Amino acid sequence: MSSKRHSILPPVSQTGPKPPVNFSSTITIADSALLTGTHTITVHGESVIHPRARLDSLAGRVTVGRRCVVQERATLGAAAAVPAAAAAAPPAEAAAAVTLGDYVTVEVGAVVEAGGTVIGEGTVVGVGARVGAGAVVGKHCTLTAHTEIAAGEVVPDFTVVYSNGMRRTDKRGVAELKNKGLARQIDVLRRMIPSNPAKFA
Amino acid sequence: MAALTPYTYIRCPCSDVSAPGRPLDGSSPMAAAADDNGAGDDDDRTFDPRAPRSNYSLYPLEYLLYCEDCHQIRCPRCVAEEIVSYYCPNCLFEVPSSNLKSEGNRCTRSCFQCPVCLGPLAVTSLETKPDPSLLAAPDNAAAPHAGPYALTCSYCHWTSAEVGIQFEKPNGIHAQLAKLRNGGATRLTAKERKERRKDPAYRTQAAAAPAPATAGGEEGGPSSSAEVLDLETQFANLKAFYQGQLADPNSADSGLAALSDLGFSSPTSLSRIMSIYTGGGWQDKKAKSRVGAMREALEPDEGLQPARLDESAAIDRLRSEGHGATASAAQLRDQPPNLGEAHLHGRARFASELRPIPYLLRTKRSKRCPVCRHIISKPEAKVQTTRFRIRLVAGSYIPSIAVRPLPLSSSSSSGSGGSASGPAVVPGALLEPLRPAHYLLTFKNPIFEPVRVTLGAPARTPGRFASKVTVLCPEFEIDANTDVWDEALKESGERDRDKDRRRRRGEEGGGQSSSNNPHHSQLEVGKIWERGRNWVSIVVEVVPASLRLAPGDPPLREDEDVLEIPMFVRVEWEGEAGGDDVGAAAGRDAAKEAREKRELAYWCVLGLGRIKQT
Repeated sequence: MSSKRHSILPPVSQTGPKPPVNFSSTITIADSALLTGTHTITVHGESVIHPRARLDSLAGRVTVGRRCVVQERATLGAAAAVPAAAAAAPPAEAAAAVTLGDYVTVEVGAVVEAGGTVIGEGTVVGVGARVGAGAVVGKHCTLTAHTEIAAGEVVPDFTVVYSNGMRRTDKRGVAELKNKGLARQIDVLRRMIPSNPAKFA
Repeated sequence: MAALTPYTYIRCPCSDVSAPGRPLDGSSPMAAAADDNGAGDDDDRTFDPRAPRSNYSLYPLEYLLYCEDCHQIRCPRCVAEEIVSYYCPNCLFEVPSSNLKSEGNRCTRSCFQCPVCLGPLAVTSLETKPDPSLLAAPDNAAAPHAGPYALTCSYCHWTSAEVGIQFEKPNGIHAQLAKLRNGGATRLTAKERKERRKDPAYRTQAAAAPAPATAGGEEGGPSSSAEVLDLETQFANLKAFYQGQLADPNSADSGLAALSDLGFSSPTSLSRIMSIYTGGGWQDKKAKSRVGAMREALEPDEGLQPARLDESAAIDRLRSEGHGATASAAQLRDQPPNLGEAHLHGRARFASELRPIPYLLRTKRSKRCPVCRHIISKPEAKVQTTRFRIRLVAGSYIPSIAVRPLPLSSSSSSGSGGSASGPAVVPGALLEPLRPAHYLLTFKNPIFEPVRVTLGAPARTPGRFASKVTVLCPEFEIDANTDVWDEALKESGERDRDKDRRRRRGEEGGGQSSSNNPHHSQLEVGKIWERGRNWVSIVVEVVPASLRLAPGDPPLREDEDVLEIPMFVRVEWEGEAGGDDVGAAAGRDAAKEAREKRELAYWCVLGLGRIKQT
């Protein structure tokens, strides 16, 4: 039984400069993840970077917290769709482009734009969602699939953004439970995804 | 501007202006026009696809059904529907119609929709399961979920615990929910209400501790001495009170009894209203007992519920929580009526009061012809199957019309004799005004007899911008829809001669054309373009109108730039004698013979494309 599956997609081509990385020893990062840029990319302990996830540190530092999951084709630190917003962000040399708190899940195809974007602890960025440059998403938020957070917006803690931008507050109080679930998911993912942090070092 | 793919809509004859609200039968002018002798009065009136009325009568072929007995097209508007079965769209459980009367049109199992986002709700345990990865956790991880349950939405993360609704068991949610009020207080049953009314201890207690006890968490009502009754209790109290009044024999007959009959609080009006709700006939009661003036309800026990007009609590809450905390109109509309709640007097509706919505049941319906009552569509009664037992779709009776732009330089066009060069037409491209364009109409015959098609189209399209239309071959015959293999075997023999096949067939199809033309791509009046086993292609030439507006004209309306051609299609064929003359199109004189001449005529609309705006 061969567990090798061949992708129909073209092989990942590394373009752009290779960034300096700062990996924890416990992370899982797939061979075909894409890390580009000039600033440091920091990934804290037990986080999982899926294949073909793209971390781009051209605009600044990219920091991924503990026990985060960045799924396939998700992009952290994409160039801002609205360039004006990017210009508004402080262009300091060591500016943080994207900061993910702990227990953040960035699902398939989601885009987190660069420019001081912060995503708080326990937040789930849904499939195909887009977080604009400089947005600050609070803790334990849920951005459902294909939602868009405008550049510079501040989303309070425990907000659920659903169905074209409707918002409500999550009152379940299951943050702890969710974190535990994510920890278990990471346990599985670590066995599933062959890790190769040495490639990026 | 969105590209427009060519389309064909067929007009159901049921919406004929001269026969409003009535399906087509033998006396309507449409049928007269379709008759053999038929120079009906419909002939000179062109159907206008832009008329507001036409919006409701044009359907794609796929939407139409066909009555085999009337030989007529039936659209969704002119069929009679019958409900075959009711089922819940969530659990696909069929609900007997007897249950429907007693339990309403919502799923009474555990299927609920989220009141916030309409997503499906799932029953989850509120008890947090001990983490098995923690060593300190007690070793009862194998124990099933226990404790209170709530309905949660996995999309917007709404949970019924937010409104204080929790369940003891994970099944039979509907029954449990019916007993619960928002905030978790149980709803009183009729028996409990009666007991409470009798019980003086409860009454004093309720009077002593008035509003805070009864108002519930989210109500926060103003402190009034009156007890807050929910709708059900109030109605029960009122009913008991007035029934007691009606039964009271010693009500004095006043001299003004006749006048008080008219009043709002007169006994007769009241007894009439009561009988509407309680179901008794009121006439006999009125005859036998003319009761005197009644007094009004004075206490909560008698059903008096003063309106609470103090809205400060709601206003305060709006101030603190904002507009986002209120329920939207759509959310309120989706809420099922809830009798266990208090009056809406002085209360705003907040999102925190929304209850889970039991799924509305759906139906499977069979469709009947409104004229002959024959079933023309009947689904399988089982909910899980999507098949139909009977379905007479129009697509298997009337020729389908496909529209395709003809990529052809119009230099050889004999129809227009106009411009020397036309651009090749790509699908979805805009039509150049005042430049002839050609479209290929492919008629495909679905029936097993050869049909004769006659087309009629106005020379100029109706509407403000009249484009010129020329149907190059308005009369032709389509071969029968024979076995596919016949054609395939024939094809293999003449594959080598395939090149001249089209031309040859074109000549044979156009009866009146005589000259043998060497250029097979040439357009010729009276000739069909191409012919196949059961299809025929003909060419329509259009000269789109210029959309230039004269000064003072109203601006272009929506979709007014779409070139739509109304076309009258008459199909004749010889079918087997059906033996009934309900249908209008059936030739009545030929009914005696074994083979019967049949005829069907209808308007259709060809949407060709958008005209370029200059």
